[in-house]
Amino acid sequence: MTSPEPPAYAGAVARGLWDAGADLIGYVPSASVAPVIDALVAADGGARGSSARVFPLSREEEAMGVLGALPLAGGFGAVVMQDNGFGNALTALTTFNAAYHLPLLVVANTRGGLGEYNSMIHTFGQHVPGLLDRVGLRTFELDRRSGPEDWHAVVAEAGAHARMTFRPVVVLAHFWATDGRGA
Amino acid sequence: MRRVEALEILADATADLPVVVTCAATSRELAAVADRPNHLYLLDAMGLAGSVATGLALAVADAPVERVVAIEGDGSLLMNPNVLPTGGHLRPRKLLMVLLDNAVYGSTADLPTYAAGLDLGGVAAACGWAVRRADDPGTLRRAFAEARAADGPVLLHVRIAPGNAPDVPRLLEDPVVLGRRFRDWLAERA
Ligand SMILES: [Mg+2]
Repeated sequence: MTSPEPPAYAGAVARGLWDAGADLIGYVPSASVAPVIDALVAADGGARGSSARVFPLSREEEAMGVLGALPLAGGFGAVVMQDNGFGNALTALTTFNAAYHLPLLVVANTRGGLGEYNSMIHTFGQHVPGLLDRVGLRTFELDRRSGPEDWHAVVAEAGAHARMTFRPVVVLAHFWATDGRGA
Repeated sequence: MRRVEALEILADATADLPVVVTCAATSRELAAVADRPNHLYLLDAMGLAGSVATGLALAVADAPVERVVAIEGDGSLLMNPNVLPTGGHLRPRKLLMVLLDNAVYGSTADLPTYAAGLDLGGVAAACGWAVRRADDPGTLRRAFAEARAADGPVLLHVRIAPGNAPDVPRLLEDPVVLGRRFRDWLAERA
């Protein structure tokens, strides 16, 4: 069975994650990143949300522990999630990944902005860039104003940036008005 | 059996294995028993020892590292119980979690945890972990050897008495130094 081609932006994010040098990728599901997960799994020869190097996790906090540990063994991990999960992850990100200077690439789709339908989710999502900045985590943002090739390049380079700075780095992906799903 | 007695036995049994240790009193007491580069002390990352050990066990799956040991407490495991279903799902063969269960939050005034009425070993078994049990020095030595020989994920559920060892110095090292020391130790083996 051949997988259908992913949407261009999701496919670009997936290729960017592999090109970022991720050895293992954990994810916490979101409708917006589901096509990214599908593309990652398909590229790794897996099916139904899992492959040898891609797997689901139940909560963002554990994702930071599981994938964040890889540099201690000479590897590099990535997490794919939705931005409202940063509320679940901040203590782990600060007291483990950041405090121990462990590089990690986190790619999160955003909620609560343009294209949103949920009347409450902006109460957290709107503040995510400010919160991450406040705790010293570097973020790079992507939206409709650049094309899939730019998304691919930014995600891949964000992985290099995480290793260069020995810190977790976050890419916030706004899928609204791309060929993906904003909310 | 007090926690520090259990840690003396575990330190003896894990000199050649990477060990991820939960924060506060457990890390301090293990460092007081034996401060070695194979120990990764999580100074403040609450509940994360099992998740970090899971990631390490996946990372060394094909390396000549026999097991990755997590030393976790009952309160800490209850803070991030996802460790159990995630381990059951991912099945890291090299993951060995030692649960030192005193049924209290030993680092926060000995307030009781659910573990007084909840069998965390049984929860782990329901999640698909192999479970071994111990409640005194003799059974701990034997059960650790068994757990080490078994394919993971394995939970070694150790019942210990509440209370922290007196006069144990605080662990004040820079986490970056602790992490680097551990990484360098592991790099010589992995
Ligand atoms: Mg306890």
